[in-house]
Amino acid sequence: MQTTMPTADLPGDFWAGWIAVLTVGSLIGLGWLVYSIYFAANGSGKAEDGHEGPVWDGNLREGAQPPPMWWFWLLFASLAISVLYLMLYPGLGSHAGALQWSQGGRLSDSMAEFEAKFGGLRQLVAEGSLETLRADPELIRSARSIFHRHCAACHGDEGQGQAQRFPNLTDAEWQWGGSAAAIEQSIRQGRTAVMVGWLPVLGDAGVKQVTDYVRQLQEGSAAGHPGQVRYGQFCAACHAPDGAGNPILGAPSLIDQVTLYGDSIDAIEYSIAIGRTGLMPAFGERLDNTQIRLLVAYLTRAGEVKRES
Amino acid sequence: MNGVGLHKRLEANTGLLIFGILFVSAIGGLVQVLPSIFQDSLAAPSAGVKPHSPAELVGRDIYIREGCSTCHSQQVRPLLAEVKRYGPFSRAGESAYDRPFLWGSKRTGPDLHRVGGRYSDEWQRLHLLDPRTVVPNSIMPAYPWLAERPADAGPDIQLRMRALRSLGHPYSDADIEAAPAAIEGLTEMDALVAYLQGLGTAMPAGGGR
Repeated sequence: MQTTMPTADLPGDFWAGWIAVLTVGSLIGLGWLVYSIYFAANGSGKAEDGHEGPVWDGNLREGAQPPPMWWFWLLFASLAISVLYLMLYPGLGSHAGALQWSQGGRLSDSMAEFEAKFGGLRQLVAEGSLETLRADPELIRSARSIFHRHCAACHGDEGQGQAQRFPNLTDAEWQWGGSAAAIEQSIRQGRTAVMVGWLPVLGDAGVKQVTDYVRQLQEGSAAGHPGQVRYGQFCAACHAPDGAGNPILGAPSLIDQVTLYGDSIDAIEYSIAIGRTGLMPAFGERLDNTQIRLLVAYLTRAGEVKRES
Repeated sequence: MNGVGLHKRLEANTGLLIFGILFVSAIGGLVQVLPSIFQDSLAAPSAGVKPHSPAELVGRDIYIREGCSTCHSQQVRPLLAEVKRYGPFSRAGESAYDRPFLWGSKRTGPDLHRVGGRYSDEWQRLHLLDPRTVVPNSIMPAYPWLAERPADAGPDIQLRMRALRSLGHPYSDADIEAAPAAIEGLTEMDALVAYLQGLGTAMPAGGGR
């Protein structure tokens, strides 16, 4: 996995030396400043050339007294901690530090910890049968939270579908097939459904006629409808002659009661005249095998619940 | 000479004092900032990172104009929880063509660095028009005007691309030539969606998980 870096990303060559010299130089300079103010000042307030500085209030002059000692200890501690830090952690040019600490290393450590804690369970989930997974309420709860994180923004919190764009995943109707294998493929590779617009071919009257035919189909009373000819010519190849759809092409059934884009005449006319594009992004790179397996278990379970009721 | 003596000399000599202040306050920058400018692993584009297309450039400007980065960061930190949630952590080289970068520091909404390709274009549009359509408990404001304003109404896209080229973004003459046509007829919404869909897509193989 490339998410980890073995060591810190340290500068090399010239800049490493540059950083080291400036850092060490600053520390030495600070150390000297602190030392000289506390322990080497003559305390007379006289400059080295013997001139007196200004005097206030009779006897108050600069440098007459060193600053308080607790202040010295604070400065001393800061300097000592800086030195200790630069010995332990990366910071001094290309010196990686005695602890070999890095952000990438910290991440791979926590990854390893995660694997050690959950690796066995995750392996079981990835290989377990869907029935076993579905029977475990703990796992289904995990599946739900994966669903909330990765799927709910489109399909809704409960997978109920929303916005007349994103399909309901709790009913028995699956545009691309409801088998575990088909659902897994939808998650891993995504789906692109394209219905082209038929207005240029059908014309206004044609669109209205086919719309009416499709509505009759849904109600099961389409026999002898004049739209059947056009339907057979242009629509049946994907949606099947009887309107049952074709999950391999993602062509939805027109005879069930599920209408993704709405069941109003306007919505159906729009679908036929202008067309529709539905895109499910691929999650094969974003989720791992365990997460996908759990989602498949969760979603097939949702389907079963509905089918039973 | 000791510290007190040095202090007196500096106090008495303004030129020396100015120089001393400048030098001392520059040390931090000289150590932390200057070397990183010349560090290849920080400045060079990561593998697969391309300069923004004209539509993405316009979208990026809209992202800045609408203040998206006030609520959305664009940096996945190298921490387990972030990598699990958002995907591979962000590399410096992925921002090589972002001037200025939009890493941000505040997350009222989620991080957006790996948002590219996570949702369909249509979801992004619906969400920008009114976030509550798709995320019922969202507190994000709606941005309906984006769908009405043309993408090419802003400053000349060719000038912007030339300016970026002078900073080292590898736009060819043909790219710049074709830019106005590439954003013609697009709305600001299209441009912003193009930008969002390109975010973080040059992620390392294998994903973060």
